[in-house]
Amino acid sequence: MDWDDEFDQLRHGGGSRPSMFDDDENPMGVGAGMGEVRMAEPYFEEEREETPLEQLTRHWMNERHAPDILPAREELLSNLLDHLRRQSEAVQLLRGDPSTSEEEHIRIMLVQTEIERVKFIVRSYVRTRLFKVEKFARHIAISDDIQKRLTAAERDHAIRHARITDQHFYLSVLQSLPEAQSHLDDTPIFVPPMVTEPDMSRPVFVHALRQCPPITLPDGASLEMKKGHISLVPYSTVATLVENEQVELI
Amino acid sequence: MALPQPLRVSVTPPELELVACQQLIEIVPLISMEKTAFISGAYGPLRPPHKAKIPIWMAVNLKLKKKCHIVPPEWLSVDFLQSKLTLETTQPAFSDLPFRFAEISKVLLDVASDDLDNPEKIRSLLKDLREARQAKSRDGLKQLDHSELSLPNLCSMEINEIRPVFIQAMSVLTRIVRNPIRTETGGL
Repeated sequence: MDWDDEFDQLRHGGGSRPSMFDDDENPMGVGAGMGEVRMAEPYFEEEREETPLEQLTRHWMNERHAPDILPAREELLSNLLDHLRRQSEAVQLLRGDPSTSEEEHIRIMLVQTEIERVKFIVRSYVRTRLFKVEKFARHIAISDDIQKRLTAAERDHAIRHARITDQHFYLSVLQSLPEAQSHLDDTPIFVPPMVTEPDMSRPVFVHALRQCPPITLPDGASLEMKKGHISLVPYSTVATLVENEQVELI
Repeated sequence: MALPQPLRVSVTPPELELVACQQLIEIVPLISMEKTAFISGAYGPLRPPHKAKIPIWMAVNLKLKKKCHIVPPEWLSVDFLQSKLTLETTQPAFSDLPFRFAEISKVLLDVASDDLDNPEKIRSLLKDLREARQAKSRDGLKQLDHSELSLPNLCSMEINEIRPVFIQAMSVLTRIVRNPIRTETGGL
């Protein structure tokens, strides 16, 4: 039975692998956010650390609610996928062993159930991102800022998707239109632009994970969220707080 | 299609249940099990009749196989819920309940009602609570403007319930505020 050993190894960051909990102690390391992060540390120490699965669950929910694409969590995800693979291998090994007892079977069943649950979250997380990548493909292709938040695979997919749809539109319709209307990126007045961009003003429900720096609301007022505060605000006002992991979307 | 249409606007109640069931709960095991490392952490050892803390989904799984009794959380009792209901019906603010109480109480009432004291009464109290709170959140729609709405003590399932209407309403308000000239000329 080596699950226990593996778990311990994982907790201590196992050899050269960077510790999975690093993320929490220094979220993002984004320049502007650093000051507040240090200030908020006392709030953080009272709580036990989030497990990688809890982190992913939080990012999954954020991704589902946010209108924009959030920064990719490649390291977290690949560590979890590694863990999933090792758990599945352990299960396979034990299932093949005829000497496993009845009691062991329940253990195996529980481990397997958990594997399926985690796989569901991972899949839903990746699919949510894929949906946004395809929806905003043309916007991604021209925006460096959003490209930084994607993985290499997501970026390539977005650019390819944008190119193929462009080609399709051109061949099926645009080439037979007059020159003035035959482009996808012209911006006629009174008509929304043809490049789909995330609607940053869409309201979201936020839950403050700790004391947050004040934000400015659309009506000019300022709001300082205390830990546990729940609010409905336009996404653009809390976008940086979401990125710095000071709030979660619910 | 990466994400089916119904999942694009909001998360679904079963997904919220999945998230809620990662929380820990106390059980009295009827089987023994060595300490085991799961992805979410190490649980066990289970030694009847000693209590142990495991995730809710695991407890539900064992309960369905009649391998454990679930110790209901403190808040899932007639006394606690009754006092919250009194607060709920006398005070204008939302009373303070666990964030995922709706999901957890549903799961426990479904699979472990024999471990609860007076499950019928609990069920009806939860229903009354839900109705009282629902009325308040509907009232909250009046206070909605284009910039912010604080919702202290609102729970995960309730937020999910009001999400479509509130988000739509706020988006419309934002559009009206942002383009005042067009609405003025449109009004004439």
